[in-house]
Amino acid sequence: MPETSYAVLGIFDTPDALMKAIPKARASKLGAVEAYTPYPIHGIDDALGLRRSPLGGMVLVMGILGALTAFGFQYWISAIDYPIITGGKGAGSWEAFIPIMFEVTVLFATFTAGLGMLFLLNRLPFFGHPVLSSKSVKGITRDRYALALEAESEGFDSAAAARVLQEAGATEVEILPAPDRSPFLTSAFILRVAAGIFGACVVAGIAMFLVTKWFPLLAPMKYMQDQPRLNAQKPSAFFKDGHGMQRPVAGTVARGHLPTATGTQEAAATLVNPLPRTKEVFAAGRKAYINRCEVCHGALGNGMGSLTAAYGGKPANLQAQQFRDYPDGKIYWAIVNGKNAMPSHAADLSESQRWAVVHYVRALQRAQNAKDEDLKVATP
Amino acid sequence: MRTDAAHAGAIPEALIEPSLTVGKVTPGSLDDQVLAFPETKPPRQWYLGLAITLTALFIGLGFIGYTFVTGIGAWGNNSPVFWAFDIINFVFWVGIGHAGTLISAILFLFRKRWRNAIARFAEAMTIFAVMCAVIFPLIHVGRPWLAFWLFPYPNQRALWTNFRSPLLWDVFAVNTYFSVSLMFWYLGLIPDIASMRDRTTSKLRKAIYTALAMGWRGAASHWQHYEKAYLLLAGLATGLVLSVHSVVSFDFATSVVPGWHMTIFPPYFVAGAIFAGFAMVVIVLVVVRETMQLKNLITMRHLDVMNKVILAMSCIMGYSYMMEGFTAWYSMNEFLHHGFMNIISGTYGWAGWLTIFCNILFPQILWFRKARASYFWMIMVALGVTVGMWFERFVIIVISLHQDYLPSAWRIYKPTMTDFGILLGTFGLFFTLVLIFARVLPVIATTEVKAILPDAQPSHHGDDHHA
Repeated sequence: MPETSYAVLGIFDTPDALMKAIPKARASKLGAVEAYTPYPIHGIDDALGLRRSPLGGMVLVMGILGALTAFGFQYWISAIDYPIITGGKGAGSWEAFIPIMFEVTVLFATFTAGLGMLFLLNRLPFFGHPVLSSKSVKGITRDRYALALEAESEGFDSAAAARVLQEAGATEVEILPAPDRSPFLTSAFILRVAAGIFGACVVAGIAMFLVTKWFPLLAPMKYMQDQPRLNAQKPSAFFKDGHGMQRPVAGTVARGHLPTATGTQEAAATLVNPLPRTKEVFAAGRKAYINRCEVCHGALGNGMGSLTAAYGGKPANLQAQQFRDYPDGKIYWAIVNGKNAMPSHAADLSESQRWAVVHYVRALQRAQNAKDEDLKVATP
Repeated sequence: MRTDAAHAGAIPEALIEPSLTVGKVTPGSLDDQVLAFPETKPPRQWYLGLAITLTALFIGLGFIGYTFVTGIGAWGNNSPVFWAFDIINFVFWVGIGHAGTLISAILFLFRKRWRNAIARFAEAMTIFAVMCAVIFPLIHVGRPWLAFWLFPYPNQRALWTNFRSPLLWDVFAVNTYFSVSLMFWYLGLIPDIASMRDRTTSKLRKAIYTALAMGWRGAASHWQHYEKAYLLLAGLATGLVLSVHSVVSFDFATSVVPGWHMTIFPPYFVAGAIFAGFAMVVIVLVVVRETMQLKNLITMRHLDVMNKVILAMSCIMGYSYMMEGFTAWYSMNEFLHHGFMNIISGTYGWAGWLTIFCNILFPQILWFRKARASYFWMIMVALGVTVGMWFERFVIIVISLHQDYLPSAWRIYKPTMTDFGILLGTFGLFFTLVLIFARVLPVIATTEVKAILPDAQPSHHGDDHHA
């Protein structure tokens, strides 16, 4: 009996009796002294000589870690990985991070306090402790106070321990067997747990596959895709002609593209360039010319663009006398309608860009045929 | 008793704290009284109550389903009142939860021992109220199955959440609040569940309680860490009582809507939350006390103290309302002024006055000891506060939004049947959970009450006298 017993429980009816028995049990030096009570008893820590709980320090460390984690996470996202200015605040405006820092601090600290106490300090869950299967446990979690002398070595004398507790005033004494710590470590148990985890993973994987594949396609989840709208290139039952996109009303002109020279080039000769000859207009004209015209007509307007050299085309030499004599309107007409091999640029250049190009062509022509008095204009 | 007699000579009668229980209560009788509920069949009234609350719950579920199928257009929300019942109800329910945290955390730190008998129920109500609250933002996002987008996680859209938005702070605040409340509640339950484990005769119950109690055996070395953890959690939850509703108020206060953009909002919201929460706790506790025969544990003194808290919070609310008016006047800002005049004389003026009456004027009756000792008056006040605090959020949200800076956008807000149906549903959910809790888990923290019973602690003078 003594070699298998683990502890001796002595039951007391009042906390006072328990407290008085503790020094006697400790003085017997038969084993470790532990008390089991239905609720915390004031002063029992000192009586049992328990060390202070290290939980406060653990919570402090984890709380600080929580604050730093939250700050680092928010700062990295808001200032480094995804810097977007909101509300006129700088990317690293840390003041806005404080509420979440506080919340994460509390979260870390709480879980450290709760789970740290249960799992780390109290080593729970543990279902094999002999007290749990003792006769006395009903009283311990109800209204009895137990004092235990627990074996610290092989030579634990349970009979002597029982005598000490009885002398200290215990109303009942119970001898407990050694704790059953084995069931958690059997290979069958580990196998069962592993199989359970594997099964759960398979089920969860199949469930996730179905959920992500089919769930978004069910009503009402698919309503976002099913919104009634007209797709430009697709048929639609909404209009009589079955087209999603309708033709514009006859004579519709896009913004910025009025007036369009649609008659003959001769008729367009009377059009007057509406734009003033300002620095900005010339700059806009130059830009449009470089983008749209230069490739054929050349940077100087002499018809020696890069395409000319490559393909042997013969674009108009705008420096020729014929084109220097053209009224503005005829150049404009050519831009809008194209001429010979030249395509229309009506879609590429807006109304004002076309007239700006006309101005710029005039400037190119004058630059190539400069007179002496032009120098006076150019010299400040 | 020897100790009491010794003290009585030195300390005046009026300063001795009266016993927190009525009649003879011992640890054993406490267990037989409180832990017996889960082992017995509920009475017929319980089934009747459950039928009513489940009906309300299913009506709410039906309307939520209707919302999912038709979209948010099923609600009355429309420009410019984009926030209405959903956010009102969210703020309302989060507020209800605050009483539980205050009772379990702040009153614990203040060593208010009367809290022990009501803490468990109040904490349970916190958790249920937060569950009701989170429903509303979830369904208001329109596609609740994508609500996980609220969390900052690496995703293929290469997007992160905006940490400068109070709405995201809210996500963190409410989630933290729920997790911490749950942890606090569960830790408190562990020793009680251990008691239930050791007294039950049913095999199924024994298995469930064994798992839930994690093998708790009441060792002194465990109690030491446990008490430390409880103290730390109380300290941490105290910060949460103040922070959660402050963060909720930031949703409003950091915007530029007239009537929202005020520095008084965080304390004003926290006080309102505790106010509404205590009212709900009083209503539920009166019912529990009567129907479950717990009069010896939840005494009239408990109700009296809670009514005093309600009265104090009512006075803070009165000050806040006055400050709102003062700010409107003193700011000389015509928008603010217009907003405040809307509360007392606009289309929704009746709601403004209902709020003022229910929250400020009517609770003043609790100055009378007779009112604090009368079921009728305390229930009337508590119901009034519940209605009043709901309408306070209506006033803040709807009145401020329906007429803001752009008169051409002004519009009168009208809730729809769906709005009311979902609100009813959350009340159904809340009381369903309360009813189930009352029959499944210990409604009173027996361990905590045992510790404050007379003679529960060793007499400190005992050793000296006998040494």
